[in-house]
Amino acid sequence: MSYDRAITVFSPDGHLFQVEYAQEAVKKGSTAVGVRGKNVVVLGVEKKTVAKLQDDRTVRKICALDDNVFMAFAGLTADARIVVNRARVECQSHRLTVEDPVTVEYITRFISSIKQRYTQSNGRRPFGISSLIVGFDFDGTPHLYQTDPSGTYHAWKANAIGRSAKTVREFLEKNYKEEHMESDTDVIKLAVRALLEVVQSGGKNIELAIMKRDESMKILVQEEIEEYVTAIEKEKEDAEKQKKKT
Amino acid sequence: MATFFGEVLSVYSRAVEEDDDDLDDENEDEQIHREIEEKREVHIAWCPEVAQSLEDSGSNKLQCSDLIIAVGTNAAGFLSAYVLNTESWDAVGHVSLWNERSRGSSRQSIALLPGEPACLFYRHRDNPAVLVCQSTCYIAEDQLFQWTEKVFGCLQKRGLSVMVLSDSPVAEYKTPDYLYGSAVPFLRSLKSSASESQALCPALEQPNILTGLPAAVLSHCQVHQIPAVLYQCYTDVISPDSITMETYKPALLCLSKLVKLEPCLSADVLRKFAIITEAQSNLYT
Repeated sequence: MSYDRAITVFSPDGHLFQVEYAQEAVKKGSTAVGVRGKNVVVLGVEKKTVAKLQDDRTVRKICALDDNVFMAFAGLTADARIVVNRARVECQSHRLTVEDPVTVEYITRFISSIKQRYTQSNGRRPFGISSLIVGFDFDGTPHLYQTDPSGTYHAWKANAIGRSAKTVREFLEKNYKEEHMESDTDVIKLAVRALLEVVQSGGKNIELAIMKRDESMKILVQEEIEEYVTAIEKEKEDAEKQKKKT
Repeated sequence: MATFFGEVLSVYSRAVEEDDDDLDDENEDEQIHREIEEKREVHIAWCPEVAQSLEDSGSNKLQCSDLIIAVGTNAAGFLSAYVLNTESWDAVGHVSLWNERSRGSSRQSIALLPGEPACLFYRHRDNPAVLVCQSTCYIAEDQLFQWTEKVFGCLQKRGLSVMVLSDSPVAEYKTPDYLYGSAVPFLRSLKSSASESQALCPALEQPNILTGLPAAVLSHCQVHQIPAVLYQCYTDVISPDSITMETYKPALLCLSKLVKLEPCLSADVLRKFAIITEAQSNLYT
């Protein structure tokens, strides 16, 4: 008997195959990387090439959920739209009920609960997206959370999802330095460097969004990204020259 | 038989053979069977020169030293881009057939339009013993035997050697280990026992099997002791894709011994064969 057709059936060795296959759908989306600094949180995504006649405004991978929270996703576009809409409604509902903006953890838990519910009812399939949710709580603490199709969520200092997530995560593990997280520029540079590892043709395929404490989300324009890319390339060159000297 | 209400029905008994009454029904059944068989027949149409040389040879067989068959859009695209891109290939024939998935046409088509399923034969002008077949249409199980018999029936068995390139979805590949994204697409090979050539990639592991046209061709070669080697490319992309096509490159080593190939290939040529729907696929972001 095949255990991978119905979502609500465990296999004899304890797998929920449909949920595991949903993780594979996530790997078909382009890479998204998130870094949590002390005073700034950054999300960077690989921009997909759009068709000539397509308006690229509609292919947004980074969405604001509220003034203090925003997220990036990887996987099925339509599923992401549903999840983002529900999260946005919940953020406003929370404000009306409790008169406070959501904490990043609250909205992450909300999104994860929706995803989990869809892994336990028949006739439905799991959401085929993973998301990186970043923002600041009203007490000023920065957060980065990652959710996946099974409905689990974890807090991270830096993480990546989507196509080459493994490569990017390994890069982040190697290059993340706690002391650099005080400087906003270094946090942004780490995200850009991580993306440059896997993105073809450099800066023009990167989209970056940052949020500083008590400010709203800002999506960087192409020129600003190019500035970071140039600075990173110069640093690389200098490091190579240093290596050659010694 | 007497029914409950007292009427008498004449009922056919299976114990007794009744010849006269059933004849019409049988005829009708037979006729339907015959019509379906005719509809599902596999036809090979050769161009006039080849048809002439078939007639001229006493045994109605073509002289052929190498037959290269590409099954699937990526294999066909690879051959179109790397082998058939020079001017020295002539379209010499096609196979037309009908089944539920391939509503075949009897056009004398020449160029393989991208996305148009067909089964075409090409022959090299300078080395007419090299035949290439690109098969992108679906051939039903009941037609596979016919296809193989009819195609190989036109070719001289002696001195013939066959190479098959075939696409397969990686979801059908069974392995105990988890396949990381970077491993896909990859090649696996299978040979007939008459084949002495070195395979350029690992052999297909058990319990994986071949199905469809590649299996029919390889079985035929095994039975008739024709040296044949098959390269199966497992890929995770449904549509024709340039990276998958490049996976077949090791086969160029054998092909370059037969015919002169273009030394270097521009990426534009490959992109022409990779399907245009790539940019329109907004399913995943």
